[in-house]
Amino acid sequence: MPPIRTAARSKKPPPDGFEDIEDTLLEFANKMKDAENAPHDGKKKYEMLWPIFQITHQRSRYIYDLYYEKEAISKQLYDWLLKNGYADAMLIAKWKKQGYEKLCCTRCIQTKETNFRSTCICRVPKAQLSEGQDVQCVNCGCRGCSSGD
Amino acid sequence: MASLPARPPVGLPPLPPGWTEHKAPSGHTYYYNKETKKSTYTRPVPNVRSFHDSAAAPPPPPPAPPGANANFDLFSPFSTQNSFVPNVQQHNFQLGAPIQQQFQHGAPPQQQFQRGGHHARGSFRGNHNFPSRKREPEDRPKHRHDIPGCAPWVLVKTKLGRRFVWNKETNESFWKFPPDVMKGVVEFDRVERDKRERRERGELSEDEDNLVAEIEAELAVAEEETEAQIVEVEGEEGMGDEEEYEEIEVTDDEGEGVEHPSKRQRTEEPLEEQGDQPMEMGEDDMAWQLAAMEEQYAEEDEEEGMPLTEEDCKALFKELLDDTRTNPYSPWDKVLEEGMLFDDERYKALPTMKARKDCFDEWSRDKVVFLKEQKTKQQKLDPRIPYLAFLHRYATPKLYWPEFRRKFKKEPEMKDMKLPEKDKEKLYRDHIKRLGMKQPELKSDLSALLKSQPLTSLNRSTTLDTLPTSILADVRYISLPASIRDVLIETYISTLSPAPGGIAASAEEEAEAAKRRAEKERREKALAERERRVREDKRRQERELAFGKGRLRDEEMEIERAMKFGKGGLRGQLGSVDREDETPQESEGE
Repeated sequence: MPPIRTAARSKKPPPDGFEDIEDTLLEFANKMKDAENAPHDGKKKYEMLWPIFQITHQRSRYIYDLYYEKEAISKQLYDWLLKNGYADAMLIAKWKKQGYEKLCCTRCIQTKETNFRSTCICRVPKAQLSEGQDVQCVNCGCRGCSSGD
Repeated sequence: MASLPARPPVGLPPLPPGWTEHKAPSGHTYYYNKETKKSTYTRPVPNVRSFHDSAAAPPPPPPAPPGANANFDLFSPFSTQNSFVPNVQQHNFQLGAPIQQQFQHGAPPQQQFQRGGHHARGSFRGNHNFPSRKREPEDRPKHRHDIPGCAPWVLVKTKLGRRFVWNKETNESFWKFPPDVMKGVVEFDRVERDKRERRERGELSEDEDNLVAEIEAELAVAEEETEAQIVEVEGEEGMGDEEEYEEIEVTDDEGEGVEHPSKRQRTEEPLEEQGDQPMEMGEDDMAWQLAAMEEQYAEEDEEEGMPLTEEDCKALFKELLDDTRTNPYSPWDKVLEEGMLFDDERYKALPTMKARKDCFDEWSRDKVVFLKEQKTKQQKLDPRIPYLAFLHRYATPKLYWPEFRRKFKKEPEMKDMKLPEKDKEKLYRDHIKRLGMKQPELKSDLSALLKSQPLTSLNRSTTLDTLPTSILADVRYISLPASIRDVLIETYISTLSPAPGGIAASAEEEAEAAKRRAEKERREKALAERERRVREDKRRQERELAFGKGRLRDEEMEIERAMKFGKGGLRGQLGSVDREDETPQESEGE
């Protein structure tokens, strides 16, 4: 029988600069764990997923900012982070497109999943909503992520 | 003041029973009735019943006007027992126009801005015979209400709850409401009261009393209007002592009453004064208060002008970030959550959250670049060095590698991923194998390792702390116990020649070394010199000692010889001298 491949054995060391952001990522991981283990009493089924989406969004945005805005991390580290699932590459890919700079989650622009082939309500600019209309989308609990807001 | 005896001044009629005479801190004489707890500046005359009548002028008191002040006590919202109205009317009388006192009571503000120096400070507390000198809390405008129906007039409420009206356009202000304004105020009060009643039922607030007082006052005005017309007196220059008590109409544009600003605070208990001592308020005072009020309003409405430029603000904020040791890699939300920033003044240097975030982004970008530069400056540490040091401390032949790894898996050296697991294992096995070898073998291995080092990295100037990486990262280095190993290395280093000059040491380093060498030589030379001198000294001392001893012996022999003179007397002596003539030769011969 081959020896069991533990994580420690197969793990390559992360590229340089990982130590700098390690603490923040750890915090995100802890938050995510808490969100996963949070009690669900009195919550809607879809509501349970909102914090998960939220934390994923935050962490992806953090890495996106570090690489594209602040240029604080190297390409190697960025790739490594994406490969190891610290950020959602598909979401970041959308953020680079005009009009999607603040996109909350990729599901909210998935028109094929909706009845009228439209995007989520959170994609509607505030200006086009009727006065005082308070929206929160079912997918991820987003309250509005249009670029113009 | 209480110590002053109450004695009537000469030439004046005696006081009626119950009245005593006192002196106020301002120097005025006043009279106090213990039974009724009333006090007055005017000298009570036995026949006069009502103390109201006495409410006339101080020291040079004109005869108290009859009917001047029928019912003001009713109106006083602070109906203190000894409500004491000194000389309210005096001025009015001088002007021939008694003023409606109700207003002075209905509109208590009169006292708030009085200056202590001017008005009689001695008003009395209920139970005491003497005036108190308590400080009056500073009063200042607090609320401003528009009076319905009288456009430019504004009703101003002060902190102490007193009120006056102010004309926005002419910039006039009166404690005593002009009649046309009065109606508006009453109307306003009614509305206010209704509002309040609706809000909290059943509570009879002070304000309502005020209102009642004011309504009554209004009525009284109407009554009195026949005989008394309202005179508005503009503040006059050079008002005398008496005129201080005059009741006031103050315009803001006159510069009177700047005189004793320092004495202003010296007044009595606020409650007492309210409605008791109508005092004049300096125009400057009013102007200042109004200006302050205006400012206050202005601040509410518009942003205060920033004295700092935008760059300054940003720099301040960045300084704050630096000072709080914020991690430039942490996201802005987290920085905010930590809450380190809020306490500082510099946090408010930037007006909006967006500006702060932008500033933070900018700062973190710069900071990250700076940190990167610093890191590249530091040379990289071979990950094997700490690991080998760790092995040197903990590795024992008793543990196999998996056991060792499990036992120490929490240690940072074991968790370090820079060094692959394979290497770690290999190093551990090597080390354990070498621990079983004999010491002479290990020693020869170590010396072989030392000898293999080029002279540039290992030479006479290296110490144990500055050993080259190639030694530290070698497993042979840690095989021997530290005590033996260090001695070996030191002795080996001392046999080495100094570092080759041109290659390793730069010019100034060399100069430094040369200087040190020269210094050392000089020191050595000096040391040799000193030793030589010391030795010489010692020799000389010995010689001297020997010489001294010889002399001492000679002297002793001489004394001995001298002692030999016995009972032989002179003859014997002489004989001995004769003999001595020969003896010296003998002794010298000895």
